[in-house]
Amino acid sequence: MDINARLYFQINPTSGVPIYRQIYDQVKIGIAMGKFTAGEFLPSIRDVSKSLEVNPMTVSKAYSLLEKSGIIEFVRGQGMRIPAKAENITIPDMSQDRLILLIREVVNSARQLSLDQESVLTKLKNIWEEDHHV
Amino acid sequence: MSNVIHCEDVKKAYGRKAVLNGVFLDVPEGSVIGLLGKNGAGKTTLLKCVLGLLKTDSGKMTVFGEGSWDLSNKAKALIGYVPQGYRPYPWLQAGRLIEYTASFYPHWNAALVDRLVREWDLDLATRVEVLSEGEMQKLLIILALGHEPELLVFDEPVASLDPVARREFLKTILEVVSERKCTIFFSTHITSDLERVADTVAVLRSGKIDFCGGLDELKDEVKRIRVHCPTGALPPLVMEGLVNSYVRGQQAILTVRGYNEGRRQGLEKALGVKVDVEDLNLEEIFLEMSR
Repeated sequence: MDINARLYFQINPTSGVPIYRQIYDQVKIGIAMGKFTAGEFLPSIRDVSKSLEVNPMTVSKAYSLLEKSGIIEFVRGQGMRIPAKAENITIPDMSQDRLILLIREVVNSARQLSLDQESVLTKLKNIWEEDHHV
Repeated sequence: MSNVIHCEDVKKAYGRKAVLNGVFLDVPEGSVIGLLGKNGAGKTTLLKCVLGLLKTDSGKMTVFGEGSWDLSNKAKALIGYVPQGYRPYPWLQAGRLIEYTASFYPHWNAALVDRLVREWDLDLATRVEVLSEGEMQKLLIILALGHEPELLVFDEPVASLDPVARREFLKTILEVVSERKCTIFFSTHITSDLERVADTVAVLRSGKIDFCGGLDELKDEVKRIRVHCPTGALPPLVMEGLVNSYVRGQQAILTVRGYNEGRRQGLEKALGVKVDVEDLNLEEIFLEMSR
């Protein structure tokens, strides 16, 4: 049966971030946020390539980088697994990474809309507090 | 890994108009390489020279180790080619054209062809002359895949395909590269498709290959840097690998090649301000490099 890798990754090929790095980041963040659990297998390179319609070499590159940094482990004959010690990936670090990515996006869009820093910060504060009361 | 295509200082002119002006290019086995270039940059000419359909004026060009102009039948049987705007045998029905083409090849994967015809919704009873542009392109792609070549050359393969067919095409390409040994060389100006399937990008500009390398590496090394210097006007910015720069008073936007973290720190130190670094997608990179 085909595994739909779209359930695992959300790829934007026309982003300035190379596809292999998008996959890499999403696995890392996914582990930190509990989307992937220890012992879980990632979809195979073939499945990811097929359902996301990206070059298999790109997927393989992301997986081998993840393996090299010890974030996932290769199990002979079975594929790439989230190791048992995955929960130890420092979550504060990860949420920082993710936060920076998101903020960067906001800053870029704000610049494009020529909004000034002050009004963006005010908006942020307003939204933060609104949500807090709900 | 050996190179399927090798070009060394290839030159080609039409009359006095030089189109290829010293092309150096190597296409390694198993790679999917996208050739980018503006209209009239010479993409089609380069592809035709590679296939021996046009004779180069000078330089060396080989495919599977054989000179492009004198390819043996054995080498030709390993190549599949989809040209642009080609409509052979207009009086034949699509199905007949497939049979006719198949008869030239010692090896023909009829099951694959049948499957693609079904998936791509092609009516085999239609005569070639009344096929739409898009249908014709689908038919040509299928014809090029039938003999399961080891080198596929596509000239603007998706130009007249609708989004659904374009995705089908990309899917087929990915299937081919993940299932068997195949090298794919295609020209395009639709960068978003290239970003999905290509591992290597070659940019043809002013008759030369301006860049050739991994798509990921290209995205990693070409960045846009925004500098804002609140304390006063910026000094003239001279740096290695500068592609474009716009400076207006306290603000500057620089596009650089060969970017890395160290260079950002160096720039920040030299200017005494923080800079912002933006990622660029392939289309933006291509536009910056074509300026």
